[in-house]
Amino acid sequence: MKFTISREKFLQPLQLVSGAIERRHTLPILSNILLKVKEGALWLTGTDLEVELISRIELESDFVEGEITVPAKKLFDICKGLSTDNDITFEVNGSKATIRSGRGRYTLSTLSANDYPNLEDWQGDVEFVISQSELKHLIDSTSFAMAQQDVRYYLNGMSLETEDNLIRTVATDGHRLALCNYDYTTSSLPARQVIIPRKGVLEISRLIENSDQTVMVKIGSNHISIKSADFVFTSKLVDGRFPDHRRVLPKETTKAVVADKAVVKDAFSRASILSNEKFRGVRLNISNGELKITANNPEQEEAEEIVDVDYQGDDLEIGFNVAYLIDVMNALDSDKVKFNLSDANASALIEDAQNSTALYVIMPMRL
Amino acid sequence: MSVSYSRKLIHIDMDCFYAAVEMRDNPALRDIPIAIGGSSDRRGVIATCNYPARAFGVRSAMATAHALRLCPDLTLVKGRMDVYKEVSDQIREIFSRYTPIIEPLSWDEAFLDVTSCPLFGGSATLIAQDIRRVIEAETGLTASAGVAPIKFVAKVASDENKPNGICVVAPDDVDKFVAELPLKKIPGVGKVTLEKLHTLGLFTCADIREFPFARLHKTLGKFGALLWNRCHGIDDRSLQVERQRKSVGVERTLSEDIYSRDEVVEVIDYLLPKLVARIANAHADKRIKSQGIKLKFNDFQQTTIEHTRSEFHAGYFNDLLSEILLRRKERGIRLVGLHVGLKDETDIEQLTLPLDGA
Repeated sequence: MKFTISREKFLQPLQLVSGAIERRHTLPILSNILLKVKEGALWLTGTDLEVELISRIELESDFVEGEITVPAKKLFDICKGLSTDNDITFEVNGSKATIRSGRGRYTLSTLSANDYPNLEDWQGDVEFVISQSELKHLIDSTSFAMAQQDVRYYLNGMSLETEDNLIRTVATDGHRLALCNYDYTTSSLPARQVIIPRKGVLEISRLIENSDQTVMVKIGSNHISIKSADFVFTSKLVDGRFPDHRRVLPKETTKAVVADKAVVKDAFSRASILSNEKFRGVRLNISNGELKITANNPEQEEAEEIVDVDYQGDDLEIGFNVAYLIDVMNALDSDKVKFNLSDANASALIEDAQNSTALYVIMPMRL
Repeated sequence: MSVSYSRKLIHIDMDCFYAAVEMRDNPALRDIPIAIGGSSDRRGVIATCNYPARAFGVRSAMATAHALRLCPDLTLVKGRMDVYKEVSDQIREIFSRYTPIIEPLSWDEAFLDVTSCPLFGGSATLIAQDIRRVIEAETGLTASAGVAPIKFVAKVASDENKPNGICVVAPDDVDKFVAELPLKKIPGVGKVTLEKLHTLGLFTCADIREFPFARLHKTLGKFGALLWNRCHGIDDRSLQVERQRKSVGVERTLSEDIYSRDEVVEVIDYLLPKLVARIANAHADKRIKSQGIKLKFNDFQQTTIEHTRSEFHAGYFNDLLSEILLRRKERGIRLVGLHVGLKDETDIEQLTLPLDGA
């Protein structure tokens, strides 16, 4: 097996695929990357048994077909450090792989490609094509609310739902929930709901770009894959039942406060500096035309911010984890934000004041 | 080397605390050598002794048997810890009138950070003098104070003019004060360290300043670095404020027992502005979680009523009063107290989404 490639063409796919590979693994071959030359292209594969990423690079100059695995991190570090002036030649001789570039020569150990684990064959029952930017929006609008190492394992991921002309993502860690709806007009989709594990979600977000280029999403009973011109990403699904968001969305709220998003976001960020480091609580005091944000910490330091808002109604004092508020402000890409509230113990529904494709529910904090 | 200081710290140290309490409560002990501690036949140790005893060389932490050899007439007093604790609480309450930032070191000793105290035009010296005055007026005991911009200097200073004295080390004087300091006065320098330092020809902080840091570090390790800093007037430790206050209160013991509601209302009206001021001083207005009244009757029975309230409301004491007066039953009232309970971290609660249905 042999191929020659420019450093530029090789490096970025190599980095992407290496991202799916764990550095230290009990199974040595899982620290390796699979390189395969076949039909005029180089295929790079990385996996951690939960996710798999395959990237394809067209080869131009002479090559010899074959496949092998080498330590991923070492290969990437070497290629990253090589000069941009020379092409890289990769060649397998016996049990070693040699990398040549200019006057440099590196010999890496190999493990047989036959031993490299690949996700078993699976069938997709839902398929749709979506632009990378739309998919990215669906993911980035909600993924921050995913739980992390929660015993309720089904919360350590994101729910992806299809039904007719709707694609919906939902994530929740039990204190807050994020939901994003996308109106899919291309075709009518079957009703499915799956949970993509946290790592898979973060990998997909890393792989896709804010572009009009499309990807094909394929959902099977245990797997999901995202396929573009350059890569195929596959993730196992979390086997579990995701909570029903309809139970969590407040049905009726009594107070609607509309504010300039950038202004409140900055005010939250400043006030957070003097919130209790452990609990991150801030107090919101809502009165006619005004939102007051206050924070204090055990050192008796205090922050107070007053923001003009659109609101007429009864006064309300309610506490929140300021990090949750800031996350939502960051996820919204609107100018105006609307807080729908009821009382100090009831959840708040936060949304773009003009467009409610993304909905955020945050439970208050008793301060 | 110049160091700039931004804080005003006071170290308050009660004079011969346990012994002073005993002398206060039993004037017969006032002029004779006394010590509080365990008896010699039970291998006891001296906790505190008064100045007449110190004249004989008796010191705290000394074995009682040894103390008795030095001073055979020493009167040994068994400690009354509950009384000392009560006085200690009293003193701590006095501190809290000046600043919420208090680091108690023991029952009779504390650091106070008065940097943001608005009293006496912000003069730490005048604040320290007032604290000493109030302690003496309210407990009959004397305290010594050290005023300085850094902790260890404040602590050393409080010892300087003991008993019943004050020593102020202004920021500009720290350098000179530290330079002249014998090394044995620096907290942490014990017998063994002192011997090592003396062997190296080091006796004062000024000597350390002339001494190569690396060698000091090699000889004493981490403590060498710390000592080097101290000798250069560097001590950026802030006060370790214990836990947050759980309540703020005021009370008044009446000169004569009272029986009618109107009389109690009068006392409450007298106490209210003091409570409000105390709440403001402790920056507690945003942490109110309850409001309560305490009464002590002339049979010395005491009762407290407390209701959950998210904010302080003076008028609510009327409701509380109606309820608590039902417990009076013919008895006279000798003490009235008002207080608010404060939330602390354990009261913070993040509510959860009804994911599983409810």
